[in-house]
Amino acid sequence: MTARTTSLRLRLAGTLGVVFLIGMVALYAAAMSYAKLAADKSYDRLLGGSALSIAETLSILDGKVQVDIPYSSLDMLSAAPDDRVFYRVVGPDRRTVTGYPDLPDVPQRRSVRNESDTSGQFYDARYRGEDVRFVSLAREIAQPGTTGWVYVQVGQTRRARDALTRDLVFGSLAPILLMTVVALGVVWFGVTLALRPLGRLSGELASRQPEDLDPVVTPVPAEIAPVVDSINGFMSRLHDNIDTLRSFIGDAAHQLRTPLAVIQAQAQLAEDGDPADMRGSLVAIRRNAAKLTRLVNQMLSDATVQHRSDVRVFTEFDLLATVRQSVREAVPMAEDSDVRFTSPLAQAPMVGDRVMIGEVVKNLIQNALTHGRSEHGEVSLMLVETPDGYLLSVADRGKGIRPDDREQVFERFARRNNDEPGAGLGLAIVRRAVESHRGVITLGDREGGGLLVEIALPRRARRS
Amino acid sequence: MMRGMIFALFCLLSLAGCAEKAADRGAAAETRTLTIYSTSDLEVFQPVIDDFRTTHPDILIEYVDLEAAELDRRFRAESAGEGSPADLLLSAAMDLQVRLVNDGFAAPHRSPNAAMVPGWARWRDEALGFTFEPVVMVFNRKAMAGRRIPMSRPELLAALREDPEFWRGRIGTYDAATSSVGYLVVSQDARQSSDFGAIAEAFRDNRVVTAGTTSEVLRRIESGELAVGYNVLGSYARAEADRSSNLELVYPSDYTLAVARTAVVPKSAPEAAAAHLFLEYLLSIRGQRILTNRSRLSAVRPEIDGPYSRLGIAEKSVGPLRPIALGPGLLVYLDAQKRQRLLDLWSGHSAR
Repeated sequence: MTARTTSLRLRLAGTLGVVFLIGMVALYAAAMSYAKLAADKSYDRLLGGSALSIAETLSILDGKVQVDIPYSSLDMLSAAPDDRVFYRVVGPDRRTVTGYPDLPDVPQRRSVRNESDTSGQFYDARYRGEDVRFVSLAREIAQPGTTGWVYVQVGQTRRARDALTRDLVFGSLAPILLMTVVALGVVWFGVTLALRPLGRLSGELASRQPEDLDPVVTPVPAEIAPVVDSINGFMSRLHDNIDTLRSFIGDAAHQLRTPLAVIQAQAQLAEDGDPADMRGSLVAIRRNAAKLTRLVNQMLSDATVQHRSDVRVFTEFDLLATVRQSVREAVPMAEDSDVRFTSPLAQAPMVGDRVMIGEVVKNLIQNALTHGRSEHGEVSLMLVETPDGYLLSVADRGKGIRPDDREQVFERFARRNNDEPGAGLGLAIVRRAVESHRGVITLGDREGGGLLVEIALPRRARRS
Repeated sequence: MMRGMIFALFCLLSLAGCAEKAADRGAAAETRTLTIYSTSDLEVFQPVIDDFRTTHPDILIEYVDLEAAELDRRFRAESAGEGSPADLLLSAAMDLQVRLVNDGFAAPHRSPNAAMVPGWARWRDEALGFTFEPVVMVFNRKAMAGRRIPMSRPELLAALREDPEFWRGRIGTYDAATSSVGYLVVSQDARQSSDFGAIAEAFRDNRVVTAGTTSEVLRRIESGELAVGYNVLGSYARAEADRSSNLELVYPSDYTLAVARTAVVPKSAPEAAAAHLFLEYLLSIRGQRILTNRSRLSAVRPEIDGPYSRLGIAEKSVGPLRPIALGPGLLVYLDAQKRQRLLDLWSGHSAR
């Protein structure tokens, strides 16, 4: 079963939902303040008109302020049918002429009043248990004996204003809310629609023959193209791998067949021929059997390294001891070979796969002995410490490898020509093992002739 | 619970008698006393109370009959002091009731029945009109002695001008200075009628007779002392006219005002639940029927039909009906300066 993360649909709808939610909250706040302003503006006109109509009846009689509240002044406020209404007229002596004597005054902080302002001052205040909107209108009285300001105050509870505010807010938010729902719905079903090409793609892949690794040709939307490209890239690598494996098997079979054919022919020659020639045939048989053994060993080594580099079971071990032991194992006692190992270190602890490193050393020595046999025949190994880890160098006195060919020798069965002994697997094995340890392998020329292989190994192979 | 049910059953069987008994027991554990301040005479309201008690025998009713201004004054004084015992205020002085609501004394009453009350007879769900009483002119046919009976204010004014001698001292109306309902209808006349100034002047010149209550005005018309009663509450007048063939009701054809007795449940009501029950009953079809047929106060709800219903009046009346609407506009004429000015104009105390 494929591991699953949150569905695309939920992700999209969730993100969109959150965005809309935040938007709604912001819009609500904006709509609320705007609607309150609008509601106040329209009802303030009525309130102002009411105060104005009262102010117009102001007169002075015997030094007293007279006011004849017009019926319409309070009746016009019935436009807000359920709101309570309060009024007061205050004389120049600051005493209530008529109306509710305890109405709250204009708030102090706004007392910078423009007396000649004809439209009056509007303010909210709490009165008799309800929020009330007030207007205060000032009129100058200038009569002999009576001069000063007369204030007309009219107040109305906020019920109708609040209702209008709610209506406005709802009116502006409802379509947006609807839009949100529609948008979420579109996302919900749109995802299905958008993912349809993926369904076609998986259909195409599912109906393929196992050996069909051709690139996918189904047209897909631009967003999915990278996925298809990856699939195509992966398939082409798979295709290459399978090809490599096939040619490896082919090469291996070819490599095995030649010595076997020689052995068979020589054996037949020995059987049928002159006993005097038999010795020559036996030598040829022995040489080909050894070649076969080496080839099989290399293939085994290759398989071992391949398997272990896949598994990567790394432990701590002493590199110095491992190299030393591998040298001992790789150099046949019988052969008169000149393999020297030197190291200034007393021990070289590292974390890695001891077996793989052992295979590296053995293959390098094998390689040096096979290809590097020249007049002096000297193979020298050296292990030194570097800041990051260790540097193992193996040098022979062979013909060396030309710089142009150096990359190629790491390929399997990449012998430069068939005359040379060896199966051509050695360096491929070495590279795989070294790279699995995150090491670096370099080929160079030895001073005075010969091949110099340098392998840098980190002390602790970092996990990928 | 069980005992309560048995008692209720017993009450149902013996009906009114049982209610009396329950009332006599007074402080029985399960009874509540609902205090009603009202401007309607108890005898008018008794059928309503009796019918309510048959369905709610556990509620005792203390009915306090007061003049409208006194009702308002007493309730306010009590509220300013230790709190009023009143659970329900029923007053024909719509303006005073509106002012109580405006001053924040009222609790809202919301119900399906309340929603059926016409819009003009409702304000903030706190003031609810429960009757519909046209304001009429009542003439004594005998006293008119064959004269043509004026059918509208302009006609009345013309008659007054034509023969001042006949009318001198024979016009009766409320004393607007002492009767709140009288003041309410006068103030509405002042607002509605273009002839108001002329009528007021003619009334002054003819030495209008004023009385504190409708019944007093009606009594003096019936006795022949007065020829006409102006701005008389039609509900009382109709009951009286049914008894006496001498009386003729005239719904003024220029316009006919209508007053609604208005109920207010105070926020401070000690028995608020009972008050809402009673008000709900008043506004219910059953309560409205009793008001119309037994108390002879016509119902405010338009669906009530009967000999004294709104519809019957509307047919007789040739002029437009102008019910006085509950609302802040009524506060205007309660303004002290405004009131003084209007009373001066109406009764001529002031020469200005």
